[in-house]
Amino acid sequence: MARLFKPRMLALAVLAALASRAHAEPAAAPARAEVLHWWTSGGESAAARTLADAFRAAGGTWIDTAVAGSEQARAVAVSRVAGGNPPTAALFNASRQFRDLVDQGQLTALDDVARQGGWDRVMPPAILDAVRVNGHVYAAPVDIHMTAWIWYSKAAFKKAGIAAEPRSVEELFQALDRLRAAGLIPLAHGGQPWQDSIVFRAVLASVGGRDLYLRVFRDRDPRAIESPEFRQVLLTFRRLHGYVDAGSPGRHWNDATGLLVAGRAGVQIMGDWVRAEFSAARQRAGVDYGCLPGLGEHAPYVIQADAFVFPKNRDAATARTQALLATTVTSPAVQVSFSSRKGSLPVRSDVELPSPDPCVALAAALMRDRARQLPNDEMFLTPDQAGAMADVLTAYWNRDMPVETVQKKVVAALRDDL
Amino acid sequence: MRRASASVGRIVLHALVVLAALGVLLPLYVMIVTSLKSMDEIRSGALFALPQAPSLAAWKDAWSHACTGLACDGLHAGFANSLWIAVPSTLVAVALGALNGYVLALWRPRGSNLLFGLLMIGAFIPVQVMMYPLVRALGAVGLVGSLPGIVVVHVIFSMPLMTLLFRNYYAALPVELFNAARIDGAGFWTTWTLVLLPMSAPMLAVAAIMQVTGVWNDYLLGLVFAGHELAPMTVQLNNLINTTTGTRNYGVDMAATLLTSLVPLLVYFASGRWFVRGITAGALRG
Amino acid sequence: MRATWAARAALVPVALTALLGYLGSTLWTAQMSVTASRTLPSDHFVGMAQYVRLFSNERWLLSLDNLLLYGVLFISACLLAGSVLAILVDREIAARGWLRQIFLYPYAMSFIATGAVWQWILNPTDGIQAVGRALGFSAFRFDWIVDPDRVLLTIVIATAWQASGFVMAILLAGLSGVDPDLWRAARIDGIPTWRVYTSIVLPQLGYAFATALVLLLTGVVKLYDAVVAMTQGGPGTASEVPTKFIMDHLYGRANLGLASAGAIVLLVTVLALLAPFLYARTRAAASIA
Repeated sequence: MARLFKPRMLALAVLAALASRAHAEPAAAPARAEVLHWWTSGGESAAARTLADAFRAAGGTWIDTAVAGSEQARAVAVSRVAGGNPPTAALFNASRQFRDLVDQGQLTALDDVARQGGWDRVMPPAILDAVRVNGHVYAAPVDIHMTAWIWYSKAAFKKAGIAAEPRSVEELFQALDRLRAAGLIPLAHGGQPWQDSIVFRAVLASVGGRDLYLRVFRDRDPRAIESPEFRQVLLTFRRLHGYVDAGSPGRHWNDATGLLVAGRAGVQIMGDWVRAEFSAARQRAGVDYGCLPGLGEHAPYVIQADAFVFPKNRDAATARTQALLATTVTSPAVQVSFSSRKGSLPVRSDVELPSPDPCVALAAALMRDRARQLPNDEMFLTPDQAGAMADVLTAYWNRDMPVETVQKKVVAALRDDL
Repeated sequence: MRRASASVGRIVLHALVVLAALGVLLPLYVMIVTSLKSMDEIRSGALFALPQAPSLAAWKDAWSHACTGLACDGLHAGFANSLWIAVPSTLVAVALGALNGYVLALWRPRGSNLLFGLLMIGAFIPVQVMMYPLVRALGAVGLVGSLPGIVVVHVIFSMPLMTLLFRNYYAALPVELFNAARIDGAGFWTTWTLVLLPMSAPMLAVAAIMQVTGVWNDYLLGLVFAGHELAPMTVQLNNLINTTTGTRNYGVDMAATLLTSLVPLLVYFASGRWFVRGITAGALRG
Repeated sequence: MRATWAARAALVPVALTALLGYLGSTLWTAQMSVTASRTLPSDHFVGMAQYVRLFSNERWLLSLDNLLLYGVLFISACLLAGSVLAILVDREIAARGWLRQIFLYPYAMSFIATGAVWQWILNPTDGIQAVGRALGFSAFRFDWIVDPDRVLLTIVIATAWQASGFVMAILLAGLSGVDPDLWRAARIDGIPTWRVYTSIVLPQLGYAFATALVLLLTGVVKLYDAVVAMTQGGPGTASEVPTKFIMDHLYGRANLGLASAGAIVLLVTVLALLAPFLYARTRAAASIA
């Protein structure tokens, strides 16, 4: 056994040598790109394939590393950077999530790609601001999501006798009351922190308005947070909690959508990915369900974007591969095919989606009105601040407490990092 | 009278046992029936009902068609990876554990107690806490994203339990055995391989069972240290069931979950007897 | 027995693991906890500032409370259920081999696999409560998983489901070592079976219980998967635990400094609780040899 044991260790050492060699070789090949992302479900996977196919047509090879859950995928990306074994490209949100990597000189700048692609001309300024640090572009945005739509079931509205779409907060609450009176779940909500935050941002944008939204998230201004207007936003947010059902905590967003599909619930506040769930259940926009980007004619709407970052690598050829990939995924043709599969909007304003459904058409029209766009809070806040904010909101959503206390907690959550 | 009460007691006993067994089996039951239902039937919400039209479609999807990233060929690719990781991780960990136990129980060089204490403290350090330094350390020697890397990591995290099992097992053996071998002139390695290892079968079984299932069920270490070409089945499973903004099919999720759990379940059902017997054979003393 | 060089050499891998792996990681983490490290390590020294932040963080304090409560409930539940199962399977009953496997199978499954099912079973609108009501018990309530005051109990139920079979196996092993004469004597004296177990047999299983306790304790400190899979720390922050706090801050929230401070506090707490126990055990082992 002693003799057996030694060869085993030896075999392991040989294996180690082989594996490290096998690992070194692909990095040397010019256009192989290992791409780390969180697109794992059917529709997302089909969308990612359009990127991979386009990259192959441009002479590259897409090596796929998928990790479900955006936070988990980013965790892997960061630990790979820390371990000196970064992927060629990693998906983040266009936000401050990758700011530290930029500050520590870990990411390749994409200034040339951005200039040649005319990003300044075609991409929303909010998104560009989020990927630009000190005048340099560090991420390639690939899509735009509108994260705080109000979706409703037409069948449920009909059953509750609601004739018109709500256009103000008071009308929304009236609709919710009528839904309840009709024996339905008024608000289908998945009680997970990120979903609670989406509802909050919808309320802040629609009730508080653009200025307050920016003063709270961009300026982190304690006076704005302690203002009566923000107090009203918090109270409205908490008031919505009165319209969810008992099974809400912990529920996945798609199960909440399922309640709308089944006609058991009336309203859901969620991002545009909900459409994929409706289509999976063979429901059609404008026929079976309706969508409101906000409350009222001119309500602002919140946008968010997924963006690839490109960690630096000792190998010079990698930078060329990265530029090729960044160019490919942001090119007009790819943007159209990718967005229509993913259910998102193209990040470029110079392309049109073929045969959009009424909700997509509405979204595309809205995107031209940049004055109504609001960046997602993560574009302003450090991940730590955004997380602390989510903690406060989910705690308040689930357990009533004096609104003044919540205001104080928000101030504390948004204070400067160490 | 006594007889009657005894038989009543036995009925109560059996009823209790059956009830407990049903309770323990409930989650497995729900997983199995859900995996046989269509998504429409699942949406309708009768969680515990038998499937109206049982179908293996979800199982087929999970094994060979479900999307787990760019690729949509199900979990089968990860199966081989998991096996490839589990076999060396188990062999090395059990061998080292047995060796450590042997030295710590019978040779006791200076500092043994301190080392063992440190190891036991290590058992209480959550994996998550050691992740970052380990990534950096293994990254520095180029082991992240390779088979040796993931094997080393599994061995490191299994060391406390493996060592504890064998140390206690060897400590409970009659010390005369060891002394006799020494008097016969057997050296360090011969004593272990010729005298002790042949008597270690029950504990080898326990250690191997625990290590195989632990490695097979691991997700976090495989995700970070195995790299994309060796990603174990649990990473694919997670990609399938834990999408954030993608749509879900619970039937496929459940089939995939059962497929992933198949190996550890079989290991326990096939060798649970050995497991209890091995623990009985002395793991508890010392 | 004098240790040979071979014996010392054989310990090199485990010594490296303990020193570089466990001790090294701990020291590195301690070092990070006094810096302002965010996504990546930095050497910007901030003293105890991260610890001050940590102990002014409500979610962290709640996590510690939760862990304590969970630990007490989980360990009691496992030891109780494990004892009952062991005694049931220890009796001469039909198909005891099968039953033992059934009670043991949850230990083979991870919460990545079973978390979703537990969520469904415990959810009031789909799970056990819904079935109870459908059977006509309209006032039947089992909605702990959505109740911030009781959600921890559901984590206890699911994790005890997983670990009780393992405790049973350990206790069964202990039971098989009980002297058969003891049973004969008890029968002659006419002592009821359950009394024999509670007053005579179980107290003899000290080592078995101690082993189970240590293994369960490591599970308590490392509690993470079940929470993430079942409640994600909710409703609200009601079922947050320290490892989840550490993990969230380590990666998603890019605050390596605060996460490290949390890790050190958790480890020190565990050591403080554990030190007397480990010391006694090591001494006992030393005196046996």
